[in-house]
Amino acid sequence: MIGRLACAVAPLLALLLAPLAAGTAGAEEVTRFPASEHERTVLTIRAAADADAMAPLIRDYQQLYPDVTVIYHEYVTADLFGEVAAACAAGRAARDYPADVVISSSVDHLIKLANDGCARAHRSFETARQPDWAAWRDEVFGFTTEPAVIAYRPDLVPPEDLPHSRVALVDLLRRKPEAYAGRIGSYDITLSGIGYLFAAYDARAAATYGRLVEAFGRADLRVRCCTGDLIADLEAGRIAIGYNLLGSYVYRAMRRGARIGLVVPRDYTLVLSRAVLVPVTARAVGDAFAFVDYLLSARGQKVSREEAFFFDRTGPLPAGVEGPPSLATAGILRPITVGPVLLAVQDRAKRARFLAEWRQSIGAEAPRGGPRREEP
Amino acid sequence: MILRGSSLFARLVAVLALVLAVGAGLLLAAAWASARLAADEAYDRLLVGAALQIAETIASDGREISVDPPFSAFETLGLSPRDRIFYKVVDPADGLLTGDADLAVPVDRARLAAGPVLLDAEHRGQAVRAVVAGRYVPDAAKAGFAAVVVAQTREARSGLARALTVKASLMVLAMSALALGAVAVAVRAALRPLRAIEGVLAARGPNELQPLGLAAPREIHLLVASIDHFMGRLSGHVAVMKRFIADAAHQIRTPLTALSAQLDLLSRETDEGRRRDQLARIRARTAELGHLTNQLLNHAMVIHRARSVAFDPVDVAGLARRTLIEAVQQQPGDRAVDVGYEGPEEAVTIPGDAIALREALSNLIHNAYRHGARRRLTVRVGRERGRVLLAVEDDGPGIPSGEWARVREPFRAAAGGGVGSGLGLSIAAEVAAAHGGEMRFETHSDRGFSVILSLPDGAEA
Repeated sequence: MIGRLACAVAPLLALLLAPLAAGTAGAEEVTRFPASEHERTVLTIRAAADADAMAPLIRDYQQLYPDVTVIYHEYVTADLFGEVAAACAAGRAARDYPADVVISSSVDHLIKLANDGCARAHRSFETARQPDWAAWRDEVFGFTTEPAVIAYRPDLVPPEDLPHSRVALVDLLRRKPEAYAGRIGSYDITLSGIGYLFAAYDARAAATYGRLVEAFGRADLRVRCCTGDLIADLEAGRIAIGYNLLGSYVYRAMRRGARIGLVVPRDYTLVLSRAVLVPVTARAVGDAFAFVDYLLSARGQKVSREEAFFFDRTGPLPAGVEGPPSLATAGILRPITVGPVLLAVQDRAKRARFLAEWRQSIGAEAPRGGPRREEP
Repeated sequence: MILRGSSLFARLVAVLALVLAVGAGLLLAAAWASARLAADEAYDRLLVGAALQIAETIASDGREISVDPPFSAFETLGLSPRDRIFYKVVDPADGLLTGDADLAVPVDRARLAAGPVLLDAEHRGQAVRAVVAGRYVPDAAKAGFAAVVVAQTREARSGLARALTVKASLMVLAMSALALGAVAVAVRAALRPLRAIEGVLAARGPNELQPLGLAAPREIHLLVASIDHFMGRLSGHVAVMKRFIADAAHQIRTPLTALSAQLDLLSRETDEGRRRDQLARIRARTAELGHLTNQLLNHAMVIHRARSVAFDPVDVAGLARRTLIEAVQQQPGDRAVDVGYEGPEEAVTIPGDAIALREALSNLIHNAYRHGARRRLTVRVGRERGRVLLAVEDDGPGIPSGEWARVREPFRAAAGGGVGSGLGLSIAAEVAAAHGGEMRFETHSDRGFSVILSLPDGAEA
């Protein structure tokens, strides 16, 4: 839990701990969920998702399958992708690398894995219910609904300043440059997989992106590696507004009692669907697909909405969240579709060009020598 | 006993079903091939579109070539929803700009100027459809074509081809089934006249020998005609037999009645002298009866042979001489009749039935001997325009020309003829007719009366 603790405390501390974090990079954190009855199988989940978020889902799954022990390995996205891709390339030689279920918020990684033939196909009643944009090839299934939101400190942002759209945000930064200079935070998209994914889709979704990034550059945008750091900065009052934060993590902080507000933008809402696949090298294949079916089932979705990720596609927004009545409100939903389009995000020429332009607009120097850290 | 062959219906339907099956097979193969082409054509457009969209973004600032594959290109490819996508972009010097380094699709720059090149290839063990699109980069370090290679697995294509083929197959199969049903109905309808014939024949009694009188299609008209012809012959035959039996019964009954009466008389007669006379009369009657019976049997035999025996070459000259000699030997020598033969010594051969001919001739000679000839009886053999003439001539009174037609019929002998005299001429007439010839009579004031059998010599058969 070292990485996550570091994120949760302070960036200063994070900097101090950086060598340590770098030293443990790639060494994932393991949580064991033992079977309550006689153990029949061990299901190994390798995931880039917060173990605290996933725990309610895993425990509920074990209510249905009490004879399954779940071993949960938590990674940062890039490490997970590297390991699974290497295991897939090694094929049979990687038999001693147990991975029955792979979960990642960097859906583009999973799409790339499936495109390279590293995933098993699965058809069931549950998979058949999924909308086209939430699944690909019966191999990669999106199972969460996590909007990109604007988080803010209610005491630092007066109600009349509260931006409900990107245009309003750009306008606010133009109207009150002094008030918010250095008080806006977002991802360092050169480090954060989700930050890059959201930014790429912002650029694709609207012409406002260029103006937004320029405004951020003028307002001296504070960039962080991960959602946890940004939430910590908000709580500490170092920033007043965080842009494009992962809604599920922000809402978890709100539930925890943090003094944070959350706005779902009304112009358009990017919605990430964290995805799951079963690799070709999986051993407990049947249980793996049973877990996938559970995640997609009404029961799993209910637990996800209430205890893990808090949002769903069609229901009302959670209590205390400002925004449209629901994510599905006509025209504003911009789902990051689980499909081959994400291969464009994976393209390295595109990425290099996009990051260069972003750096130039933000006014950031060349990539910092700090630890390369990504969102779990 | 009729051998039971396989059913005509089954054979026809089997052959047509085979033809239909082969046709359907060929159609299905054609449908599959064209469905594959159609599917390729449809999805090739998406592939080319995506490659061109990527190629569009290739740019050069004079030092470096850059590319920025657009989302839209991948969205276009995503229209075939399940297919994997592999791509790479290489600069004019074949340096990889982006994409999958291991995508081993050959780039033939000579052909790129003409437009995107489509080809089938294999990548990581999967069959893929690939397109290579070029974009000319003039201001790079090395000017030339940068190339975009986009490859896609064939799932959507196969799926579409399969769906199209299945639809076409259903139609072909439905058509085939329909055609087979129509064939079965048509064949059954075509064979119905045969069934009608069978029904008519089966419903007939043994004596109903009239023609079938069925309207028959051209193909089996010959069969119906043959049956009708056969029926006609059978019916004629049966009529002759009936008449013969009736006549014969009548002819035999009369002398038998007379014989019976004479025997009654004889049994009551006491006078020895008259008993002897009556015995003599009974003997004579019995002899006549035997002669009559012989002739009846001969007549039946001749009629039977005429309709059933195949002809062999017969030397009628030799036959005439032998028959004459036999006949003369059988006659009682109570009259001085000059018997003679006139004709060639060498063989005169015609196709015929020797036994029937001898019987005919023998009857004519007996008739002449018994009823005609006073002093002279001559058998003549001659030729006349493709015919052979056998004539029996005598110097008797002959038959009046008014009776010539009547005496050819059995039991209608010339007036005054006794018992047993009624069949000879009719037998001869029958034999002549059976040989395709005729019997005629001639009267010459100087030579007398002659009965002539005129028979074809078979030379022009």
